[in-house]
Amino acid sequence: MNKKMSGKLSNRLSENISGWLILLPSIVLFTFYIWEPMIYSLILSLNETKGFRMERFVGLQNYIDVLKDSVFHQALINTFFYVIWSLIIGFLVPIIVALIVNEMVYLNSFFRFSIYFPNMVPGVAALVLWGFLFDPSEGGLLNAIRIKLGLQPSDWLQNPKLTIPLLIFIMTWKSAGSTALIYIARLQGINQELYEAACIDGAGIFRRIIHITLPELYSTARMLLIMQIIFVFQVLYEPLVLTGGGPNNASLSLMLLSYNYAFVDFVAGKSATVSVLVTLILMCLTFIYMKATKENNNV
Amino acid sequence: MSRLDSKTTGIINFLDLRKPSVKALYYILLFISCCIAFVCLAPPLWVFLSSLKNIKEFAQVPPTIIPHTFEPQKIITTWKTLNFTKYYINSFILVAGSVVCAIVFNGLAGYVISIIKPRGYRFVFNLILWSLMIPATINLVPIFKNIVALKLNNSYIPLWLSYGANAFYVLLFKNFFDEIPREIIEAAKIDGCPNLRLFYKIVMPLSVPIIMVVTIFSINASWSDFLLPYIVLKNRESYTVMIKIYEMSFGNTWMSADMKMLAVLYAILPPVVLVIFFQKYLTQGVVIGSLK
Repeated sequence: MNKKMSGKLSNRLSENISGWLILLPSIVLFTFYIWEPMIYSLILSLNETKGFRMERFVGLQNYIDVLKDSVFHQALINTFFYVIWSLIIGFLVPIIVALIVNEMVYLNSFFRFSIYFPNMVPGVAALVLWGFLFDPSEGGLLNAIRIKLGLQPSDWLQNPKLTIPLLIFIMTWKSAGSTALIYIARLQGINQELYEAACIDGAGIFRRIIHITLPELYSTARMLLIMQIIFVFQVLYEPLVLTGGGPNNASLSLMLLSYNYAFVDFVAGKSATVSVLVTLILMCLTFIYMKATKENNNV
Repeated sequence: MSRLDSKTTGIINFLDLRKPSVKALYYILLFISCCIAFVCLAPPLWVFLSSLKNIKEFAQVPPTIIPHTFEPQKIITTWKTLNFTKYYINSFILVAGSVVCAIVFNGLAGYVISIIKPRGYRFVFNLILWSLMIPATINLVPIFKNIVALKLNNSYIPLWLSYGANAFYVLLFKNFFDEIPREIIEAAKIDGCPNLRLFYKIVMPLSVPIIMVVTIFSINASWSDFLLPYIVLKNRESYTVMIKIYEMSFGNTWMSADMKMLAVLYAILPPVVLVIFFQKYLTQGVVIGSLK
Protein backbone atom coordinates (compact mmCIF):
# COMPACT_ATOMS: atom_id res chain seq x y z
CA MET A 1 0.00 0.00 0.00
CA ASN A 2 2.68 2.40 1.10
CA LYS A 3 4.91 1.36 -1.74
CA LYS A 4 2.12 1.89 -4.24
CA MET A 5 1.46 5.36 -2.84
CA SER A 6 5.08 6.40 -3.04
CA GLY A 7 5.29 4.87 -6.51
CA LYS A 8 2.38 7.02 -7.57
CA LEU A 9 3.95 10.02 -5.93
CA SER A 10 7.28 9.60 -7.66
CA ASN A 11 5.41 8.95 -10.88
CA ARG A 12 3.58 12.22 -10.45
CA LEU A 13 6.87 13.93 -9.62
CA SER A 14 8.64 12.62 -12.70
CA GLU A 15 5.60 13.60 -14.76
CA ASN A 16 5.91 17.13 -13.39
CA ILE A 17 9.61 17.30 -14.05
CA SER A 18 9.35 16.04 -17.61
CA GLY A 19 6.45 18.44 -18.21
CA TRP A 20 8.50 21.40 -17.09
CA LEU A 21 11.50 20.22 -19.09
CA ILE A 22 9.44 20.09 -22.26
CA LEU A 23 8.01 23.50 -21.50
CA LEU A 24 11.44 24.96 -20.76
CA PRO A 25 12.46 25.91 -24.35
CA SER A 26 9.19 27.77 -24.83
CA ILE A 27 9.61 29.56 -21.52
CA VAL A 28 13.11 30.61 -22.54
CA LEU A 29 11.86 31.92 -25.88
CA PHE A 30 8.92 33.77 -24.36
CA THR A 31 11.28 35.28 -21.81
CA PHE A 32 13.73 36.31 -24.51
CA TYR A 33 11.19 37.80 -26.92
CA ILE A 34 8.31 38.99 -24.77
CA TRP A 35 8.51 39.01 -21.00
CA GLU A 36 12.03 40.27 -20.41
CA PRO A 37 11.79 42.94 -23.18
CA MET A 38 8.58 44.13 -21.56
CA ILE A 39 10.26 44.65 -18.21
CA TYR A 40 13.40 45.99 -19.84
CA SER A 41 11.32 48.58 -21.72
CA LEU A 42 9.97 49.78 -18.42
CA ILE A 43 13.46 50.05 -16.91
CA LEU A 44 14.87 51.64 -20.04
CA SER A 45 12.18 54.29 -19.97
CA LEU A 46 13.36 55.34 -16.49
CA ASN A 47 16.96 55.79 -17.56
CA GLU A 48 19.00 58.18 -19.59
CA THR A 49 20.47 56.28 -22.51
CA LYS A 50 23.26 56.62 -24.96
CA GLY A 51 22.46 54.59 -28.03
CA PHE A 52 21.03 51.41 -26.57
CA ARG A 53 23.13 51.63 -23.41
CA MET A 54 21.76 52.84 -20.12
CA GLU A 55 23.72 55.71 -18.59
CA ARG A 56 21.96 56.61 -15.36
CA PHE A 57 18.64 56.41 -13.60
CA VAL A 58 16.60 59.56 -14.17
CA GLY A 59 13.19 58.54 -12.84
CA LEU A 60 10.35 60.02 -14.81
CA GLN A 61 12.48 62.54 -16.69
CA ASN A 62 12.00 60.74 -20.02
CA TYR A 63 8.25 60.79 -19.51
CA ILE A 64 8.29 64.51 -18.74
CA ASP A 65 10.43 65.20 -21.81
CA VAL A 66 8.29 63.08 -24.10
CA LEU A 67 5.00 64.42 -22.79
CA LYS A 68 6.23 67.97 -23.31
CA ASP A 69 7.41 67.25 -26.84
CA SER A 70 5.12 68.77 -29.43
CA VAL A 71 6.00 65.98 -31.87
CA PHE A 72 4.61 63.52 -29.35
CA HIS A 73 1.37 65.52 -29.13
CA GLN A 74 1.12 65.45 -32.90
CA ALA A 75 1.75 61.67 -32.97
CA LEU A 76 -0.81 61.07 -30.22
CA ILE A 77 -3.49 63.08 -32.01
CA ASN A 78 -2.62 61.41 -35.32
CA THR A 79 -2.89 57.97 -33.78
CA PHE A 80 -6.36 58.76 -32.51
CA PHE A 81 -7.25 59.99 -35.98
CA TYR A 82 -6.00 56.71 -37.41
CA VAL A 83 -8.32 54.87 -35.03
CA ILE A 84 -11.29 57.12 -35.79
CA TRP A 85 -10.79 56.85 -39.55
CA SER A 86 -10.37 53.11 -39.27
CA LEU A 87 -13.73 52.93 -37.51
CA ILE A 88 -15.35 55.10 -40.17
CA ILE A 89 -13.79 53.36 -43.18
CA GLY A 90 -12.67 50.02 -41.92
CA PHE A 91 -15.18 48.67 -39.45
CA LEU A 92 -18.36 48.49 -41.52
CA VAL A 93 -16.75 47.46 -44.81
CA PRO A 94 -16.13 43.81 -43.85
CA ILE A 95 -19.65 43.45 -42.45
CA ILE A 96 -21.24 44.83 -45.61
CA VAL A 97 -18.96 42.79 -47.87
CA ALA A 98 -19.77 39.65 -45.89
CA LEU A 99 -23.53 40.30 -46.06
CA ILE A 100 -23.41 40.80 -49.82
CA VAL A 101 -20.99 38.03 -50.75
CA ASN A 102 -22.81 35.56 -48.53
CA GLU A 103 -25.94 36.07 -50.63
CA MET A 104 -24.19 35.25 -53.87
CA VAL A 105 -25.20 32.05 -55.60
CA TYR A 106 -23.07 32.48 -58.67
CA LEU A 107 -19.28 32.84 -58.54
CA ASN A 108 -19.33 32.39 -54.79
CA SER A 109 -15.85 30.91 -54.44
CA PHE A 110 -14.41 33.43 -56.89
CA PHE A 111 -15.70 36.29 -54.71
CA ARG A 112 -14.24 34.69 -51.61
CA PHE A 113 -10.91 34.24 -53.28
CA SER A 114 -10.83 37.83 -54.47
CA ILE A 115 -11.78 39.39 -51.16
CA TYR A 116 -9.13 37.30 -49.43
CA PHE A 117 -6.52 37.99 -52.07
CA PRO A 118 -5.21 41.34 -50.69
CA ASN A 119 -4.54 39.61 -47.39
CA MET A 120 -2.01 37.44 -49.10
CA VAL A 121 -0.07 40.39 -50.46
CA PRO A 122 2.80 40.90 -47.99
CA GLY A 123 2.50 44.13 -46.03
CA VAL A 124 5.48 46.01 -47.43
CA ALA A 125 4.74 44.84 -51.00
CA ALA A 126 1.12 46.01 -50.69
CA LEU A 127 2.30 49.41 -49.53
CA VAL A 128 4.84 49.85 -52.30
CA LEU A 129 2.18 48.70 -54.76
CA TRP A 130 -0.29 51.34 -53.56
CA GLY A 131 2.55 53.82 -53.68
CA PHE A 132 2.56 53.35 -57.46
CA LEU A 133 -1.16 53.95 -57.69
CA PHE A 134 -1.06 57.01 -55.45
CA ASP A 135 1.92 58.46 -57.29
CA PRO A 136 1.37 62.22 -56.92
CA SER A 137 2.87 63.01 -60.33
CA GLU A 138 0.85 62.63 -63.50
CA GLY A 139 2.37 59.18 -63.92
CA GLY A 140 0.22 57.51 -61.25
CA LEU A 141 -2.80 55.44 -62.22
CA LEU A 142 -5.26 57.31 -60.02
CA ASN A 143 -4.09 60.64 -61.36
CA ALA A 144 -4.38 59.27 -64.90
CA ILE A 145 -8.00 58.44 -64.16
CA ARG A 146 -8.59 61.90 -62.68
CA ILE A 147 -7.14 63.49 -65.78
CA LYS A 148 -9.35 61.32 -68.00
CA LEU A 149 -12.33 62.53 -65.99
CA GLY A 150 -11.21 66.12 -66.54
CA LEU A 151 -10.04 66.72 -62.95
CA GLN A 152 -6.80 68.15 -61.63
CA PRO A 153 -4.25 65.54 -60.50
CA SER A 154 -4.26 65.14 -56.72
CA ASP A 155 -1.34 65.07 -54.29
CA TRP A 156 -2.84 61.99 -52.63
CA LEU A 157 -0.55 60.96 -49.78
CA GLN A 158 1.37 64.23 -49.95
CA ASN A 159 -1.76 66.13 -49.00
CA PRO A 160 -1.72 66.32 -45.18
CA LYS A 161 -5.53 66.24 -45.04
CA LEU A 162 -5.71 63.03 -47.05
CA THR A 163 -2.75 61.02 -45.74
CA ILE A 164 -4.37 59.35 -42.75
CA PRO A 165 -7.65 58.46 -44.47
CA LEU A 166 -5.75 57.11 -47.48
CA LEU A 167 -3.43 55.03 -45.32
CA ILE A 168 -6.49 53.65 -43.54
CA PHE A 169 -8.05 52.94 -46.92
CA ILE A 170 -4.98 50.89 -47.86
CA MET A 171 -5.06 49.07 -44.53
CA THR A 172 -8.73 48.30 -45.10
CA TRP A 173 -8.04 47.05 -48.61
CA LYS A 174 -5.40 44.78 -47.18
CA SER A 175 -7.23 43.33 -44.21
CA ALA A 176 -10.98 43.61 -44.77
CA GLY A 177 -11.07 40.28 -46.61
CA SER A 178 -10.04 38.05 -43.74
CA THR A 179 -12.40 39.89 -41.40
CA ALA A 180 -15.19 39.44 -43.95
CA LEU A 181 -14.48 35.70 -44.04
CA ILE A 182 -14.95 35.58 -40.27
CA TYR A 183 -18.31 37.31 -40.61
CA ILE A 184 -19.27 34.99 -43.46
CA ALA A 185 -18.53 31.97 -41.26
CA ARG A 186 -20.70 33.53 -38.59
CA LEU A 187 -23.49 34.25 -41.08
CA GLN A 188 -23.48 30.66 -42.20
CA GLY A 189 -23.84 29.57 -38.61
CA ILE A 190 -27.18 31.37 -38.30
CA ASN A 191 -30.04 28.93 -38.00
CA GLN A 192 -31.92 29.06 -41.29
CA GLU A 193 -35.20 28.37 -39.49
CA LEU A 194 -35.05 31.82 -37.97
CA TYR A 195 -35.28 33.34 -41.45
CA GLU A 196 -38.03 30.95 -42.44
CA ALA A 197 -40.02 31.84 -39.36
CA ALA A 198 -39.51 35.54 -40.06
CA CYS A 199 -40.60 34.97 -43.65
CA ILE A 200 -43.80 33.31 -42.54
CA ASP A 201 -44.46 36.22 -40.19
CA GLY A 202 -44.14 38.46 -43.23
CA ALA A 203 -40.86 40.15 -42.32
CA GLY A 204 -39.22 41.78 -45.34
CA ILE A 205 -35.54 41.51 -46.13
CA PHE A 206 -34.68 44.71 -44.33
CA ARG A 207 -36.45 43.65 -41.15
CA ARG A 208 -34.81 40.23 -41.29
CA ILE A 209 -31.41 41.93 -41.34
CA ILE A 210 -32.29 44.22 -38.44
CA HIS A 211 -33.95 41.61 -36.24
CA ILE A 212 -32.02 38.45 -37.03
CA THR A 213 -28.75 38.98 -38.85
CA LEU A 214 -27.33 41.95 -36.99
CA PRO A 215 -28.08 40.61 -33.49
CA GLU A 216 -26.42 37.33 -34.49
CA LEU A 217 -23.33 39.21 -35.65
CA TYR A 218 -23.23 41.46 -32.60
CA SER A 219 -20.84 39.47 -30.40
CA THR A 220 -18.41 38.82 -33.25
CA ALA A 221 -18.49 42.46 -34.28
CA ARG A 222 -17.88 43.56 -30.71
CA MET A 223 -14.81 41.38 -30.42
CA LEU A 224 -13.45 42.42 -33.79
CA LEU A 225 -14.01 46.08 -32.94
CA ILE A 226 -11.69 46.03 -29.96
CA MET A 227 -9.14 43.97 -31.88
CA GLN A 228 -9.24 46.51 -34.68
CA ILE A 229 -8.71 49.42 -32.31
CA ILE A 230 -5.73 47.70 -30.69
CA PHE A 231 -4.33 46.80 -34.11
CA VAL A 232 -4.71 50.25 -35.66
CA PHE A 233 -3.37 51.97 -32.58
CA GLN A 234 -0.02 50.34 -33.32
CA VAL A 235 0.05 51.49 -36.94
CA LEU A 236 3.69 51.62 -38.01
CA TYR A 237 4.38 50.00 -41.37
CA GLU A 238 2.04 52.17 -43.41
CA PRO A 239 3.45 55.58 -42.53
CA LEU A 240 6.99 54.16 -42.35
CA VAL A 241 6.91 52.76 -45.87
CA LEU A 242 4.66 55.20 -47.67
CA THR A 243 5.11 58.62 -46.12
CA GLY A 244 7.89 58.34 -43.57
CA GLY A 245 5.49 60.13 -41.21
CA GLY A 246 5.15 63.11 -43.51
CA PRO A 247 4.15 65.42 -44.98
CA ASN A 248 5.30 67.54 -42.06
CA ASN A 249 4.49 64.82 -39.46
CA ALA A 250 0.87 64.66 -40.64
CA SER A 251 0.91 60.86 -40.63
CA LEU A 252 3.37 60.28 -37.77
CA SER A 253 1.97 57.62 -35.45
CA LEU A 254 3.05 56.82 -31.92
CA MET A 255 4.75 53.59 -32.94
CA LEU A 256 6.58 55.33 -35.77
CA LEU A 257 7.73 57.96 -33.29
CA SER A 258 8.99 55.17 -31.03
CA TYR A 259 10.74 53.59 -34.02
CA ASN A 260 12.31 56.91 -35.00
CA TYR A 261 13.54 57.57 -31.47
CA ALA A 262 15.20 54.14 -31.39
CA PHE A 263 16.53 53.59 -34.89
CA VAL A 264 16.87 57.08 -36.34
CA ASP A 265 17.74 59.30 -33.36
CA PHE A 266 19.20 56.45 -31.28
CA VAL A 267 17.61 57.55 -28.02
CA ALA A 268 16.38 54.19 -26.74
CA GLY A 269 15.10 55.63 -23.48
CA LYS A 270 12.59 57.88 -25.18
CA SER A 271 11.59 55.09 -27.55
CA ALA A 272 10.87 52.83 -24.59
CA THR A 273 8.94 55.64 -22.94
CA VAL A 274 6.65 55.94 -25.94
CA SER A 275 6.23 52.15 -26.03
CA VAL A 276 5.26 52.06 -22.39
CA LEU A 277 2.81 54.92 -22.90
CA VAL A 278 1.23 53.11 -25.87
CA THR A 279 0.89 49.95 -23.80
CA LEU A 280 -0.74 51.92 -20.98
CA ILE A 281 -3.19 53.59 -23.38
CA LEU A 282 -4.06 50.23 -24.93
CA MET A 283 -4.63 48.71 -21.50
CA CYS A 284 -6.92 51.60 -20.57
CA LEU A 285 -8.85 51.24 -23.83
CA THR A 286 -9.29 47.50 -23.31
CA PHE A 287 -10.35 48.06 -19.72
CA ILE A 288 -12.90 50.77 -20.55
CA TYR A 289 -14.22 48.67 -23.38
CA MET A 290 -14.63 45.56 -21.24
CA LYS A 291 -16.35 47.58 -18.59
CA ALA A 292 -18.72 49.17 -21.09
CA THR A 293 -19.68 45.91 -22.75
CA LYS A 294 -20.23 44.29 -19.39
CA GLU A 295 -22.71 46.98 -18.42
CA ASN A 296 -24.41 46.58 -21.76
CA ASN A 297 -24.80 42.89 -21.15
CA ASN A 298 -26.40 43.45 -17.77
CA VAL A 299 -29.11 45.69 -19.17
CA MET B 1 -34.71 25.89 -63.23
CA SER B 2 -31.89 28.25 -62.36
CA ARG B 3 -29.94 28.13 -59.13
CA LEU B 4 -31.71 31.26 -57.94
CA ASP B 5 -35.01 29.35 -57.80
CA SER B 6 -33.61 26.94 -55.25
CA LYS B 7 -31.76 29.42 -53.05
CA THR B 8 -32.55 28.55 -49.46
CA THR B 9 -29.49 29.91 -47.70
CA GLY B 10 -28.82 33.46 -46.59
CA ILE B 11 -31.18 36.29 -45.91
CA ILE B 12 -32.83 36.42 -49.32
CA ASN B 13 -34.49 33.13 -50.31
CA PHE B 14 -36.09 31.87 -53.50
CA LEU B 15 -39.56 33.06 -52.48
CA ASP B 16 -38.34 36.65 -52.25
CA LEU B 17 -36.60 36.29 -55.58
CA ARG B 18 -39.93 35.71 -57.31
CA LYS B 19 -40.69 39.38 -56.72
CA PRO B 20 -39.20 41.46 -59.55
CA SER B 21 -38.03 44.19 -57.17
CA VAL B 22 -36.06 41.72 -55.06
CA LYS B 23 -34.67 40.12 -58.18
CA ALA B 24 -33.49 43.52 -59.35
CA LEU B 25 -31.92 44.13 -55.94
CA TYR B 26 -30.22 40.77 -56.19
CA TYR B 27 -28.64 41.66 -59.49
CA ILE B 28 -27.52 44.99 -58.08
CA LEU B 29 -25.84 43.07 -55.26
CA LEU B 30 -24.22 40.77 -57.78
CA PHE B 31 -22.90 43.83 -59.57
CA ILE B 32 -21.59 45.27 -56.29
CA SER B 33 -19.84 41.96 -55.58
CA CYS B 34 -18.15 42.17 -58.94
CA CYS B 35 -17.03 45.72 -58.10
CA ILE B 36 -15.64 44.51 -54.76
CA ALA B 37 -13.73 41.73 -56.49
CA PHE B 38 -12.45 44.28 -59.00
CA VAL B 39 -11.17 46.62 -56.27
CA CYS B 40 -9.42 43.68 -54.59
CA LEU B 41 -7.77 42.28 -57.69
CA ALA B 42 -7.23 45.28 -59.97
CA PRO B 43 -4.36 47.12 -58.23
CA PRO B 44 -1.87 44.22 -58.39
CA LEU B 45 -3.10 43.35 -61.85
CA TRP B 46 -2.58 46.88 -63.13
CA VAL B 47 0.91 47.00 -61.68
CA PHE B 48 1.67 43.67 -63.29
CA LEU B 49 0.34 44.62 -66.71
CA SER B 50 1.88 48.06 -66.78
CA SER B 51 5.26 46.76 -65.72
CA LEU B 52 5.23 44.75 -68.94
CA LYS B 53 4.61 47.76 -71.19
CA ASN B 54 7.41 48.63 -73.54
CA ILE B 55 9.65 51.43 -72.44
CA LYS B 56 8.06 54.01 -74.68
CA GLU B 57 4.57 53.35 -73.44
CA PHE B 58 5.83 53.06 -69.88
CA ALA B 59 7.34 56.54 -69.94
CA GLN B 60 4.19 58.07 -71.39
CA VAL B 61 2.46 60.72 -69.22
CA PRO B 62 -0.36 60.32 -68.31
CA PRO B 63 -0.01 56.55 -68.32
CA THR B 64 -2.33 54.31 -70.29
CA ILE B 65 -4.94 52.77 -68.05
CA ILE B 66 -5.15 49.63 -70.15
CA PRO B 67 -1.70 48.80 -71.53
CA HIS B 68 -1.31 48.33 -75.28
CA THR B 69 2.13 46.76 -75.52
CA PHE B 70 3.53 43.72 -73.80
CA GLU B 71 7.07 42.56 -73.28
CA PRO B 72 6.77 39.45 -71.14
CA GLN B 73 10.48 38.72 -71.40
CA LYS B 74 10.92 41.62 -68.96
CA ILE B 75 9.84 39.26 -66.20
CA ILE B 76 12.97 37.19 -66.69
CA THR B 77 15.46 39.94 -67.52
CA THR B 78 14.45 41.97 -64.46
CA TRP B 79 14.69 38.87 -62.28
CA LYS B 80 18.23 38.35 -63.47
CA THR B 81 19.27 42.00 -63.22
CA LEU B 82 18.00 42.32 -59.67
CA ASN B 83 19.46 38.94 -58.73
CA PHE B 84 16.20 37.86 -57.18
CA THR B 85 17.19 34.20 -56.92
CA LYS B 86 19.40 35.19 -53.98
CA TYR B 87 16.63 37.05 -52.13
CA TYR B 88 14.21 34.23 -52.79
CA ILE B 89 16.63 31.70 -51.31
CA ASN B 90 17.20 33.95 -48.29
CA SER B 91 13.47 34.35 -47.78
CA PHE B 92 12.92 30.61 -48.14
CA ILE B 93 15.58 29.96 -45.49
CA LEU B 94 13.83 32.41 -43.20
CA VAL B 95 10.42 30.83 -43.85
CA ALA B 96 11.59 27.24 -43.42
CA GLY B 97 13.23 27.85 -40.06
CA SER B 98 10.33 29.98 -38.84
CA VAL B 99 7.77 27.31 -39.66
CA VAL B 100 9.76 24.62 -37.85
CA CYS B 101 10.15 26.83 -34.78
CA ALA B 102 6.49 27.87 -34.85
CA ILE B 103 5.32 24.27 -34.87
CA VAL B 104 7.85 22.68 -32.52
CA PHE B 105 8.06 25.23 -29.72
CA ASN B 106 4.48 26.45 -29.69
CA GLY B 107 3.25 22.89 -30.23
CA LEU B 108 5.24 21.64 -27.26
CA ALA B 109 4.03 24.50 -25.10
CA GLY B 110 0.42 23.81 -26.09
CA TYR B 111 0.95 20.11 -25.41
CA VAL B 112 2.31 20.63 -21.91
CA ILE B 113 -0.42 23.12 -21.05
CA SER B 114 -3.24 21.07 -22.47
CA ILE B 115 -2.20 17.48 -21.71
CA ILE B 116 0.65 17.05 -19.21
CA LYS B 117 -0.40 19.93 -16.95
CA PRO B 118 2.51 19.81 -14.49
CA ARG B 119 2.05 21.52 -11.13
CA GLY B 120 1.98 25.28 -11.56
CA TYR B 121 1.53 25.23 -15.34
CA ARG B 122 -1.36 27.63 -14.96
CA PHE B 123 0.99 30.44 -14.02
CA VAL B 124 2.95 30.08 -17.25
CA PHE B 125 -0.26 29.75 -19.25
CA ASN B 126 -1.58 32.99 -17.76
CA LEU B 127 1.66 34.76 -18.60
CA ILE B 128 1.36 33.52 -22.18
CA LEU B 129 -2.28 34.60 -22.42
CA TRP B 130 -1.37 37.95 -20.99
CA SER B 131 1.30 38.45 -23.63
CA LEU B 132 -1.42 38.20 -26.29
CA MET B 133 -2.50 41.63 -25.14
CA ILE B 134 0.94 43.14 -25.54
CA PRO B 135 1.49 44.70 -28.93
CA ALA B 136 4.31 42.91 -30.73
CA THR B 137 6.10 45.94 -32.16
CA ILE B 138 6.45 47.59 -28.76
CA ASN B 139 9.25 45.28 -27.64
CA LEU B 140 11.44 45.97 -30.64
CA VAL B 141 14.29 47.83 -28.92
CA PRO B 142 14.83 45.37 -26.03
CA ILE B 143 14.57 42.39 -28.40
CA PHE B 144 17.20 43.99 -30.59
CA LYS B 145 19.37 44.54 -27.52
CA ASN B 146 18.97 40.88 -26.51
CA ILE B 147 19.91 39.73 -29.99
CA VAL B 148 22.97 41.95 -30.07
CA ALA B 149 23.98 40.75 -26.59
CA LEU B 150 24.09 37.18 -27.90
CA LYS B 151 25.96 38.36 -31.01
CA LEU B 152 23.21 36.94 -33.17
CA ASN B 153 22.73 39.99 -35.36
CA ASN B 154 23.20 39.30 -39.04
CA SER B 155 21.94 35.78 -38.47
CA TYR B 156 18.64 34.08 -39.21
CA ILE B 157 18.58 32.25 -35.88
CA PRO B 158 16.92 35.02 -33.83
CA LEU B 159 14.38 35.51 -36.61
CA TRP B 160 13.51 31.82 -36.65
CA LEU B 161 13.29 31.59 -32.89
CA SER B 162 11.02 34.62 -32.70
CA TYR B 163 8.35 32.38 -34.22
CA GLY B 164 8.79 29.95 -31.33
CA ALA B 165 7.32 32.49 -28.91
CA ASN B 166 3.91 33.18 -30.35
CA ALA B 167 1.13 33.23 -27.78
CA PHE B 168 -1.52 33.00 -30.45
CA TYR B 169 -0.11 29.78 -31.94
CA VAL B 170 0.24 28.29 -28.45
CA LEU B 171 -3.42 29.00 -27.88
CA LEU B 172 -4.40 27.46 -31.23
CA PHE B 173 -2.48 24.29 -30.37
CA LYS B 174 -3.79 24.17 -26.81
CA ASN B 175 -7.40 24.49 -27.91
CA PHE B 176 -6.94 21.79 -30.51
CA PHE B 177 -5.20 19.39 -28.12
CA ASP B 178 -8.01 19.90 -25.60
CA GLU B 179 -10.32 18.14 -28.04
CA ILE B 180 -8.21 14.97 -28.32
CA PRO B 181 -9.99 12.15 -26.43
CA ARG B 182 -8.27 11.59 -23.10
CA GLU B 183 -8.67 7.79 -23.43
CA ILE B 184 -6.07 7.67 -26.20
CA ILE B 185 -3.57 9.56 -24.11
CA GLU B 186 -4.27 7.59 -20.95
CA ALA B 187 -3.87 4.33 -22.85
CA ALA B 188 -0.50 5.38 -24.21
CA LYS B 189 0.63 6.51 -20.77
CA ILE B 190 -0.34 3.17 -19.21
CA ASP B 191 1.75 1.48 -21.89
CA GLY B 192 4.64 3.49 -20.52
CA CYS B 193 5.02 5.95 -23.38
CA PRO B 194 7.30 8.82 -22.31
CA ASN B 195 5.88 12.31 -22.64
CA LEU B 196 8.02 13.43 -25.52
CA ARG B 197 7.31 10.31 -27.56
CA LEU B 198 3.62 10.64 -26.76
CA PHE B 199 3.86 14.07 -28.36
CA TYR B 200 5.32 13.07 -31.70
CA LYS B 201 3.88 9.57 -31.98
CA ILE B 202 0.31 10.23 -30.91
CA VAL B 203 -0.57 13.89 -30.42
CA MET B 204 1.08 15.29 -33.56
CA PRO B 205 -0.37 12.75 -36.00
CA LEU B 206 -3.83 13.50 -34.62
CA SER B 207 -3.30 17.23 -35.09
CA VAL B 208 -2.61 17.56 -38.79
CA PRO B 209 -5.36 20.17 -39.37
CA ILE B 210 -4.02 22.58 -36.76
CA ILE B 211 -0.45 21.98 -37.88
CA MET B 212 -1.52 22.94 -41.40
CA VAL B 213 -3.17 26.10 -40.12
CA VAL B 214 -0.12 27.16 -38.11
CA THR B 215 2.14 26.25 -41.03
CA ILE B 216 0.22 28.44 -43.45
CA PHE B 217 -0.03 31.29 -40.93
CA SER B 218 3.67 31.18 -40.19
CA ILE B 219 4.72 30.82 -43.83
CA ASN B 220 2.69 33.88 -44.62
CA ALA B 221 3.89 35.81 -41.58
CA SER B 222 7.57 35.04 -42.04
CA TRP B 223 7.52 35.70 -45.78
CA SER B 224 5.98 39.11 -45.07
CA ASP B 225 8.07 39.75 -41.99
CA PHE B 226 9.88 43.02 -42.35
CA LEU B 227 10.82 45.02 -39.30
CA LEU B 228 12.79 42.49 -37.25
CA PRO B 229 14.70 41.14 -40.29
CA TYR B 230 15.33 44.72 -41.37
CA ILE B 231 17.01 45.70 -38.13
CA VAL B 232 18.77 42.36 -37.59
CA LEU B 233 20.07 41.60 -41.09
CA LYS B 234 22.40 44.43 -41.98
CA ASN B 235 24.43 42.40 -44.44
CA ARG B 236 23.22 42.88 -48.02
CA GLU B 237 24.01 39.27 -48.84
CA SER B 238 21.39 38.06 -46.37
CA TYR B 239 18.59 40.47 -47.31
CA THR B 240 15.17 38.90 -47.67
CA VAL B 241 12.69 39.80 -50.41
CA MET B 242 10.81 42.21 -48.14
CA ILE B 243 13.93 44.12 -47.13
CA LYS B 244 14.89 44.37 -50.78
CA ILE B 245 11.48 45.71 -51.72
CA TYR B 246 11.56 48.28 -48.95
CA GLU B 247 15.09 49.35 -49.75
CA MET B 248 14.48 49.78 -53.47
CA SER B 249 11.34 51.82 -52.94
CA PHE B 250 13.54 54.44 -51.29
CA GLY B 251 17.18 54.47 -52.31
CA ASN B 252 18.53 52.94 -55.53
CA THR B 253 17.33 55.56 -57.94
CA TRP B 254 19.13 53.74 -60.77
CA MET B 255 16.35 51.23 -60.75
CA SER B 256 13.64 52.00 -63.27
CA ALA B 257 10.02 52.09 -62.13
CA ASP B 258 8.99 49.06 -64.17
CA MET B 259 11.72 47.04 -62.47
CA LYS B 260 10.42 48.12 -59.09
CA MET B 261 6.92 47.08 -60.07
CA LEU B 262 8.10 43.66 -61.16
CA ALA B 263 10.06 43.24 -57.94
CA VAL B 264 6.87 43.88 -55.97
CA LEU B 265 5.19 41.17 -58.02
CA TYR B 266 7.96 38.70 -57.27
CA ALA B 267 7.26 39.37 -53.61
CA ILE B 268 3.54 38.76 -54.00
CA LEU B 269 3.81 35.59 -56.06
CA PRO B 270 4.70 32.91 -53.46
CA PRO B 271 1.88 33.76 -51.02
CA VAL B 272 -0.59 33.83 -53.90
CA VAL B 273 0.50 30.37 -55.01
CA LEU B 274 0.12 29.30 -51.40
CA VAL B 275 -3.50 30.51 -51.24
CA ILE B 276 -4.41 28.84 -54.48
CA PHE B 277 -3.15 25.49 -53.22
CA PHE B 278 -4.31 25.68 -49.65
CA GLN B 279 -7.49 27.68 -49.91
CA LYS B 280 -9.47 25.20 -47.85
CA TYR B 281 -7.10 25.24 -44.91
CA LEU B 282 -6.81 28.97 -45.12
CA THR B 283 -10.48 29.73 -44.81
CA GLN B 284 -10.58 27.32 -41.91
CA GLY B 285 -7.54 28.98 -40.39
CA VAL B 286 -8.95 32.47 -40.62
CA VAL B 287 -12.07 31.36 -38.82
CA ILE B 288 -10.20 29.41 -36.15
CA GLY B 289 -7.87 32.36 -35.79
CA SER B 290 -10.73 34.72 -35.14
CA LEU B 291 -11.91 32.80 -32.12
CA LYS B 292 -8.94 33.66 -29.96
